[in-house]
Amino acid sequence: MKLTLPPRVSPQQFDTALQAMARVVGKDWVMASDADRDAYADVYAPGPAEQWPASAAVAPASVEEIRAIVRLANEHKTPLWPVARGKNLGYGTSAPRMAGTIVLDLGRMDRILELDPRLAYCVVEPGVGFFDLYEHIQREKAPLWISVPGNAWGSVLGNALEHGIGYTPYGLHARNLCGIEAVLPDGDVMRTGLGGMDNNPAWHVFPMGYGPTWDLAFSQSNLGIVTKAGLWLQPAPAASLELVFDIPEAEDIGWVVDTITPLKISGLIEQNVFVPSWLGKMVLKGQRKDFWDKPSAIPDWRIKELLKQYKLGYWQVALRLYGEESVIKAKAEIVKAAMARNLKDPPQENWWREGDPINAFEITMGVPSAVPLQMSDWIGGRGAHMGFSPVVPATGEHVLGQMRRSRKIIADFDIDFYASFTINGRFANNVNMLMFDRDDPGQIDTMRKLFSTLIGETAKAGYGEYRTHLGWMDSVMDTYGFNDHALRRFNEKVKDALDPNGILAPGKQGVWPSAYRDSAKEGRA
Amino acid sequence: MKRAVLVALAALPLISVVACKKETATPPSGPAQAGVPPPPPPYQMRPEAPAGDRLAAGRDGKALFEYHCGYCHLVGGMGTNLLTKQQVMAGASPEMGLLANRTDLTADYVTAVVRLGKNAMPPQTRVDITDPELDSVSAYLGKGK
Repeated sequence: MKLTLPPRVSPQQFDTALQAMARVVGKDWVMASDADRDAYADVYAPGPAEQWPASAAVAPASVEEIRAIVRLANEHKTPLWPVARGKNLGYGTSAPRMAGTIVLDLGRMDRILELDPRLAYCVVEPGVGFFDLYEHIQREKAPLWISVPGNAWGSVLGNALEHGIGYTPYGLHARNLCGIEAVLPDGDVMRTGLGGMDNNPAWHVFPMGYGPTWDLAFSQSNLGIVTKAGLWLQPAPAASLELVFDIPEAEDIGWVVDTITPLKISGLIEQNVFVPSWLGKMVLKGQRKDFWDKPSAIPDWRIKELLKQYKLGYWQVALRLYGEESVIKAKAEIVKAAMARNLKDPPQENWWREGDPINAFEITMGVPSAVPLQMSDWIGGRGAHMGFSPVVPATGEHVLGQMRRSRKIIADFDIDFYASFTINGRFANNVNMLMFDRDDPGQIDTMRKLFSTLIGETAKAGYGEYRTHLGWMDSVMDTYGFNDHALRRFNEKVKDALDPNGILAPGKQGVWPSAYRDSAKEGRA
Repeated sequence: MKRAVLVALAALPLISVVACKKETATPPSGPAQAGVPPPPPPYQMRPEAPAGDRLAAGRDGKALFEYHCGYCHLVGGMGTNLLTKQQVMAGASPEMGLLANRTDLTADYVTAVVRLGKNAMPPQTRVDITDPELDSVSAYLGKGK
């Protein structure tokens, strides 16, 4: 990819900045060739990757190197886009929101600094991936489980900071963060909570602190670069039982949610319950053309045939209970009785007991896997995907309304409907997965229009997205309109106070520093 | 070698296994039924991060491959699953889904795919795998002439 410079930076100034950065990290860790820029582009970009081009990438190995790079970025006015491992697939990968921003790749900072089996937490750097942490725990034989997202190739901290979700009792990943160290936009470094004291041993176990609590101010944020954080882990249970219910009809999602939510809120069900639609199973069986060879959406009659042939329900609830066997058995009876009010078939039951092997695909047992990425093969070519991800209250009324609205809009665009609801307690995250071929301009155009329509219509109904791709970060922030966009105005006031040069992740989540606010109109999908 | 083949054969039914696992009720006890897929493979641990300077030439290509590429290219990995399907469709044996078993890859081809990406595989940055690390991995995998 050709070089796109940051705004108002000359080629000579840019070169001077990179040379100065190379003196900090070593020349091999300043990556500025055309091939490097390609590698840091959005591999699943809905359109040309050149719409969100990085000018270069720099990879520091320590907090001190990060601080030095940040000071240089201020001096040379070369903004930085921090990524942990750069695997935010479907949301922009490692590409920056503003053209010409330098990716600050923290992948080399991959130390697991602490693992405490007694209080069940760890302290990790941003380059630690789910596979790394999982394998470290296995080698240490620590009685701890982690929570992983669907695709676990990425960073533990990066995913938590982006508000990622898993499917265990610790599935709300941002909630597991406790005690953060961050380099601020002026190169200063601070620690949140009890970390504000020197050597307080309770830093990573007390989630608040003294005075305002800032941990989550560094999530989906451009206020600092997180350099380490505490993360709570699940104590390994003595046993676990999976109850698998096939749910026949699309409209059944209403009673499913009304059945599970009260059990989740009461604590009887601890995990985040993932309810994917049938297409989530089909994408692993082959390619779309094997099942429907036309570009149009798979029609209802064909869906009925496929569900019958492959013995699938429209939805599947694979609910997992954890703990002592006697307690699990008692809980399972309550869950089964509740589901039986609307479903005559009993669930499939899969027991696991301490010492049993765990297979490679048990996401609800915290085993990392990249296998869900196989869905990129469904469409073929350089398969790509985006998730439209609104949040709704976890009641049948809200979930049904959301499902019907998305389903109709997606059908109107003649696209296959592939949705999931994850019941996290009082709310459900709805992800509408949109798969497309990056090399088909017609599909790209349809996807962009569809995505914008989904954002607009969902906002009209009163709901917002919790996370989105670079190209819609501003559109989604626009939907947060209360009191003349008071939320954005507040974010930007804070941003300008902490980052007067605007060098840290300008435009992240639609929050622009005044220095680059004139760039906000560009890079919109 | 025998072990490698066994491991690779275990990978063959992966795709259908992943897809079918929650659909086929197996009795809690009793003999395995004909036609019921075997259980999915256990998680395969990668080796620990190979020691040494990431910018030094001549490190162990096998260990570097398993560590840096093992997320997807060991038994049960996403890349192995897709490649197994491709290889079988092309008339090759299923164990060729594991890159370590391939004899038709060249070092240049491996390097190009890693840096440029291919189909479902995204390009890898020089932080994911450095140039000297990739040289070692390509030499290890590039058994073809």
